[in-house]
Amino acid sequence: MMVTGVKLTLLLLVTTTLISFFVGTVLAVMRVSSVKALRILGTLYVEICRNIPGLFWLLFFYFVFPELLPSEWGKALNTYEHYPVVAGILGLTVDNSSYVSDILRSGKLAIPDSQKEAAITLGLKPVQQWLYVMLPQMYRAVLPPLGTRMIHNFKNTSLCMAITATELTWATQQIESLTFRGIEATTIATVFYIIVSALMVAVVLGLEKYLKIDMTSITKSKA
Amino acid sequence: MIKFINVYKKFKEECIPLNNVDLSIAKGQVVVVCGPSGAGKSTLLRVIPRLEAIDRGEIIIDGLSVTNSRANLAKVRSEIGMVFQQFNLFPHKTAIQNIMLAPMKVRGLTRKQANKKAMALLERVGLVHKAGNYPSQLSGGEQQRIAIARSLAMEPGIMLFDEPTSALDPELIQEVLDVMISLAREGGMTMIVVSHEIGFAKKVADRVLFMDNGVILEDGSPHEVLISPKHQRARDFMSNVLHVRDDLREENATFLN
Repeated sequence: MMVTGVKLTLLLLVTTTLISFFVGTVLAVMRVSSVKALRILGTLYVEICRNIPGLFWLLFFYFVFPELLPSEWGKALNTYEHYPVVAGILGLTVDNSSYVSDILRSGKLAIPDSQKEAAITLGLKPVQQWLYVMLPQMYRAVLPPLGTRMIHNFKNTSLCMAITATELTWATQQIESLTFRGIEATTIATVFYIIVSALMVAVVLGLEKYLKIDMTSITKSKA
Repeated sequence: MIKFINVYKKFKEECIPLNNVDLSIAKGQVVVVCGPSGAGKSTLLRVIPRLEAIDRGEIIIDGLSVTNSRANLAKVRSEIGMVFQQFNLFPHKTAIQNIMLAPMKVRGLTRKQANKKAMALLERVGLVHKAGNYPSQLSGGEQQRIAIARSLAMEPGIMLFDEPTSALDPELIQEVLDVMISLAREGGMTMIVVSHEIGFAKKVADRVLFMDNGVILEDGSPHEVLISPKHQRARDFMSNVLHVRDDLREENATFLN
């Protein structure tokens, strides 16, 4: 049961980290776009998603979302064996991606407009400007807070026990109710969370070192 | 050929960097633009690839209007190189990666072709040995030379230089000017240079413009504009700023020699 829990927790960690990284990036680009409609849409998403507790999003996707769909689809979801996991991924992603986008947006603000101007005059198209010039610098600029956010998201996977996703925290509760070995199970789970979080910290520190660039050449600009 | 037709640009009330500018620059001409701070020199350059939009008038480059057509703008932008006061190298890329990026992504060169081209350009600006360095590991003069090489990699017909030496320590200015002088002497490329480097203007400019308050006050040969300008405003400027600096530099040069 613990092994299943660990596996699912790791699955939730990997999927939500990757998806929210991607969605957060798209949202951040939308929010600094020159197109007003995109800016409004992005901001609306972030403000709604970020200002509702993550647990509520999990409950929403598990209980409410299937009811909003046409009844056959909703029934299909409710009877789908792994729907708790899907709902967990959706809920965590919605919550986490809004934070990621805001962190990235702050990264964009740290990069002078002149970088974009250089990219424009080299003939790079807008998508290329983002991919090769802006985003690589934005990720570097916000690596520490981004890492912290991803660790936070990892710990939030434990909330998925509330929607019967059989992840690690759910497993410890099950063990407690079946065998009364709750303290042992919880201790093991705690150690696991600490180890994975520490590994994530190590990865972030490693990336920081590997990607370290000296931004002074562009930030010391005088008018 | 670059043509400004009655171009008007306003930032705020009473700040009009381009006040109905008419200007025509022939292919291959080397033009130096000077004038006091806030005269509109930089804006004159920046509206060409439309880093700033203009409020009225029209700008036509090689027969294509860039004022209203996005398609024309994209085409024209890839034919224009721009060198900035602050160099604006991409800090997360090495010198050679900075040069290779646009030829690969915009012109579709393979990595090998782009690398070969970049090495040739590094040779030309005398920085082959710095190919693998990041911008933060280069001096200002080296960064600016890399920035020039990066622009040249796109083989632009037009090069715009926005105060390319103003942010440099005095002893690093000449190495950048040397690259620009050799470019100008090679010929064939239209160059517009916003600069107060009178030595450069005297040596290679075909034409010098003097701007003040969004208007081109003087327009003529280097001798006409620098030595005997018609307007009092220009005369004051030349004697106060340029000649003094120029003389100082020459004095220093003789002193050092």
